[in-house]
Amino acid sequence: MQKFQEFVSIAPWTIIFTWANLLLLLFILKKLLFKPVTNILSQRENEVGEMYKKAEEAQKNAEELESEYTQKLSAAKEEASKIMKEATHEATLKGEAIVSEAQKKAQAAMEKAEKQIEQEKKAAVSEIKSDIASIAISVAEKVIEKDINESDYERLVEDFIDGRGEDK
Amino acid sequence: MSIKGPEILFEINILGGIPITETIVGGWIVVAALTLIAFILGRNLSVRNPSKRQLAAEKLVAMLYGLVGDTMGKHNLRFAPLIGTLFSYSILSSLSGLTGMRAPTGDLNTTLAFALMIFFLIQFGNIKNKGVGGWLKGFTEPVALITPLNLISEIANPISMAFRHFGNIASGIVITTLIYAALATCSNALLGWIPILGDIPLLQVGLPALLSIYFDVFTSFLQAYIISMLAMVYVGGANEPSEA
Repeated sequence: MQKFQEFVSIAPWTIIFTWANLLLLLFILKKLLFKPVTNILSQRENEVGEMYKKAEEAQKNAEELESEYTQKLSAAKEEASKIMKEATHEATLKGEAIVSEAQKKAQAAMEKAEKQIEQEKKAAVSEIKSDIASIAISVAEKVIEKDINESDYERLVEDFIDGRGEDK
Repeated sequence: MSIKGPEILFEINILGGIPITETIVGGWIVVAALTLIAFILGRNLSVRNPSKRQLAAEKLVAMLYGLVGDTMGKHNLRFAPLIGTLFSYSILSSLSGLTGMRAPTGDLNTTLAFALMIFFLIQFGNIKNKGVGGWLKGFTEPVALITPLNLISEIANPISMAFRHFGNIASGIVITTLIYAALATCSNALLGWIPILGDIPLLQVGLPALLSIYFDVFTSFLQAYIISMLAMVYVGGANEPSEA
């Protein structure tokens, strides 16, 4: 025997069972679907956020390194040009020093040579003087054949030569 | 041919007899089916390289949370699982009519249970946010004179929700039953003289399926959407963001 409820009627037990069903379904859906999926979504969000953060950090790092390298490179270039300049300067100085020393040496050599020439000239002059004196004495002796005081004579000759020298 | 309420399948002989109707069993089947769907959709989730199944599950959940967030406000997102439960229970109940079951939502008691649950949520929300005094005072606003009208509208609210949902699905059942009966009669009148073939109600093929697209499928979606939307609007209204 089939029994039916009225088409429009209030059956409290049906309402209670429906509530129980809804509550049970709420619990099941939360446990099986909503919680896991929202968890996954938030995890993914976190992961993406972290990745962005890491990428940004890496970029920052790279930029820092780049600026560091640029700085180092320019410093190295500066140093190189400084070294070059110094070397050039030093070389110029050395060259000048060498040249000036050479000039000095040449000067000294010249002076020495001049001195020697002077000395030799003096020596030659005094030798010539004595030669001339003795020649003159012997010539005079022969001419006048008179034995004069040699010292007087030498004086006479010297006067004569000096007088010549002054005429020059 | 007669149009009846849900059949009482058996009775549990405690508390003066608990009638277990088609509606209650149908509700269990719906819960079981949704449990299976939720289990399939919600297992083996991974953060990277989600499967198509997981993408579908994520899309569904994201849509639900998006809709709840837009309608009720971000502070009311805790209601999203409840709204999802209500929606899925309603739609699968209505659609179960397609399998030849008597749709649980074609029983006033099911939709009344929905409506009363929403009604209680509204009242609890108001009491929680305004206090008992503020909740009671709310019925006398804007002027004390219209307090009876406020009370009537507050009580009419769940009744109208319950009857709207019930009426749409039940009318589908009624119309389908009527059309089947009418088509059987036509079939008998036109083809009844042919032996053997005349016993088969051939005219029942086709037309009911087309009508069912409207009365069952479309209405099922529409009513599930409407009751969920109303629940969101009313419960959201009872849980306004605190003015901080």
